[in-house]
Amino acid sequence: MSRLLYLLAFWCLGATATLTAGVGEAAYERGDYVGALQAWRAQAEQEGVTADLLAALGNAEWKLGHKGRAMVCWERALLLSPRHPVATAGIKHAQGAGGADRPTQTWSENYAAFLGADGWLILGALGFWGTLLAVLVPKLRRQPPGDWAQRILITSATVFALSIPGLYGAYTLASRAVVRRPEVVVKLTPTALGETLNGTAEGDVLRTGRRFNGHTYVTSADGKGGWVKSTELEPIWGGALPANLDQKQAP
Amino acid sequence: MRAVFLCLLACLAVTLVRAENHVTWEITPPVCGPGQPFRLQVRIESDDVLGPANQVGKEIKPPRGMALRFSGQVFRANATEATLNFSGVAPEDEGNYVLPAFNARFPSQMVQVPAITLIVSSKTGYRKEGRARAELVLPDRTFYVGEKIAGSVVMRGSEQETVTGTFGLECEAEGFNFQTEGASFTQPLQDGHGLTKTFELTPIRAGQSEFSLSGIMLVNTGERISSLNTSGRDRPFNFRRRLTVEHVPETGRPADWGGSIGKLEVTPPDVSNRFPEVGEPIKLKLTLVGEGNLERIIAPDIPGSDTWDIAPTSEKRQRRGEDRRTFIYTLVPRLPGELKTPAVRFSTFNPDTKKFEEVEFISVSVKVSGNAPAKVELVTIDPAAQAGTPAAKTVTGLLAPTVAAGAKGVTKIEPLAASKPFWLSNGVLLTALLLTTAGVSILGYLAAHPEILIRRRARRDLRLARRAAQDALRRQDYAGYAHAMAQGLRAGAAPLLQAEPLALTQSDILRALPTANAPLVAAVFLAAAGEKYGAKDTRQTLSEDAQLQAMLNTLEAQL
Repeated sequence: MSRLLYLLAFWCLGATATLTAGVGEAAYERGDYVGALQAWRAQAEQEGVTADLLAALGNAEWKLGHKGRAMVCWERALLLSPRHPVATAGIKHAQGAGGADRPTQTWSENYAAFLGADGWLILGALGFWGTLLAVLVPKLRRQPPGDWAQRILITSATVFALSIPGLYGAYTLASRAVVRRPEVVVKLTPTALGETLNGTAEGDVLRTGRRFNGHTYVTSADGKGGWVKSTELEPIWGGALPANLDQKQAP
Repeated sequence: MRAVFLCLLACLAVTLVRAENHVTWEITPPVCGPGQPFRLQVRIESDDVLGPANQVGKEIKPPRGMALRFSGQVFRANATEATLNFSGVAPEDEGNYVLPAFNARFPSQMVQVPAITLIVSSKTGYRKEGRARAELVLPDRTFYVGEKIAGSVVMRGSEQETVTGTFGLECEAEGFNFQTEGASFTQPLQDGHGLTKTFELTPIRAGQSEFSLSGIMLVNTGERISSLNTSGRDRPFNFRRRLTVEHVPETGRPADWGGSIGKLEVTPPDVSNRFPEVGEPIKLKLTLVGEGNLERIIAPDIPGSDTWDIAPTSEKRQRRGEDRRTFIYTLVPRLPGELKTPAVRFSTFNPDTKKFEEVEFISVSVKVSGNAPAKVELVTIDPAAQAGTPAAKTVTGLLAPTVAAGAKGVTKIEPLAASKPFWLSNGVLLTALLLTTAGVSILGYLAAHPEILIRRRARRDLRLARRAAQDALRRQDYAGYAHAMAQGLRAGAAPLLQAEPLALTQSDILRALPTANAPLVAAVFLAAAGEKYGAKDTRQTLSEDAQLQAMLNTLEAQL
């Protein structure tokens, strides 16, 4: 009897979860983007973010005109799932219709996007350990390396060598940020009164370098470098939902 | 025949036409206090010329307790309108009093005025007697930073003391903006004996603060000073109240909230042209009405879409106190067909319910004519490309998102490279592996070269024996000295001869040290084991200590 009750409870929980999950999509379909956003945010706060959820949030944010937040969501969705179709379409739409700039990916970044940063790191670690163990274990056993040890050594060393460009690409991909403010000035020096070089707009993706004096050195999609206030950028790595920079103080 | 019939019909129709009369009335004030004077105005509009009414006062029969008299009429020659004015005093008891229908007799016709109801209530604040007094009307609740609080000072008079004016309204309140602009004119109360002065308060910071409002009202006491002047006096008033102000709560605050606080409603959106052509701009007016800080609201941002290009907002600024705010957007249709303007949601914080509410400007259907523009991706075409090269295909538009139910996500997207346990465990394993490898290699090397350890052990034993010999010499224990020296020589020579130390004799020592003093070595061994074999006195070896030490040094150097 108690088993039956448990089954019934699980069935109810499952039905509720499906209902909750469908709320955002239903709201999005009928054009209620604020409702969709609220539903998905609540889901993200409860269950954590997934690539699907971030891509959906990006769409809703874009529909509400929040370009910066949308780009952050899509970029983070691609971190979790490098070929996510909704996030990819969103970023292409932002670049085409929305005029957002995004640095062209280098060959190593394209290579890195094939597996994702974690995938390359795991592969690199496996290659490294495989190589090391294939070299050391025969020494520890005081025996000459056998056929299997040599095969493992060659395979592991190849995997490790192949993972190096992926790791480098993942590192450069991680060094990017999204502009979150509508009009951001790129300055020659990291100072409050630094000379203005050019400007960048909300939703643009920039490569980031070192930080100094509350500023971050950035390189834009067209290769121009300069300093931008760190508070006007949001790094792609290191968060889940976009930071609430747009939260207005009560007037 | 037919024409004659039509003319006859027209004449009959003219005789059947009756004049249409329209009668309206108004009582000022609409609700009277017991014994309060009131004014009744009856307006008659007719299709015929009316002229003056006759014997109106005789026709009207007021109910018991009510005094009413015909005070005059307004009419013009050859006009179709007339106004009848009555003055009266409401009964002393509360209730609804019906003035029966009566006839107004005009020269051309008689018009029936329908029954009129006068409401008498003691809740109107009308006072027959008493001193004029001022009351502060301000909501008794927690206020929020940025909201517009509508307040007023009601100056109530009586038959004896009428409030005729006010001046010098001053507010002393830290943390508030005080405004009377837009509501500067003073409105009379319905009973005609008092005034209402409205003002607006806007809290600018959170906390508790003292609100103080003072002013002066002009009171007419009714005493006649001369035929042209009556006596009056200034009467000051002052109010103090402690107000609590908080920030609008952050919990439940929608992302699109633009600072709006109040009870707002939307009006139906107004579109300047419902039948535009493709590319023809139209205006979309969205108007918010209600009580709230309308002038502080940030205009909602409407993003463009596949069907609409939306230009930046312009807006129609209203004067303060108009209780409405209009946002105007320019929409340009991109495609033909039945399009709908974007629905705009708007969040506002209701200070009474302390909750965020959402209002929505609904979509408006617009029929767009014309042809869709050619699909040319101007942005993506490379001007340097060769003729005939197809433009790069770009994915435009967003895909419909699907969110899997129950999928467990992450709370923070961080690369594995940022994980300390990952690097720590790898580092520990690597260190352990390297240490093990190094240890095994060293042990293997030592196993392959056992003489290293043997010689090392021999050096140690030799040094111990030398130290023991010196101790024995210091104690003048000659037997012990010889024994320690013999041990030292054996320990030093054993690795060189690849033999166990205890198995060595004096001749073996001489093989290891060919240059050694053979009698001395023999003497040492004899002294060391002399007791077993009945040897001579061992004192003669004492003088050779330096030679023996040199032998030990030679052996140690060879190890």
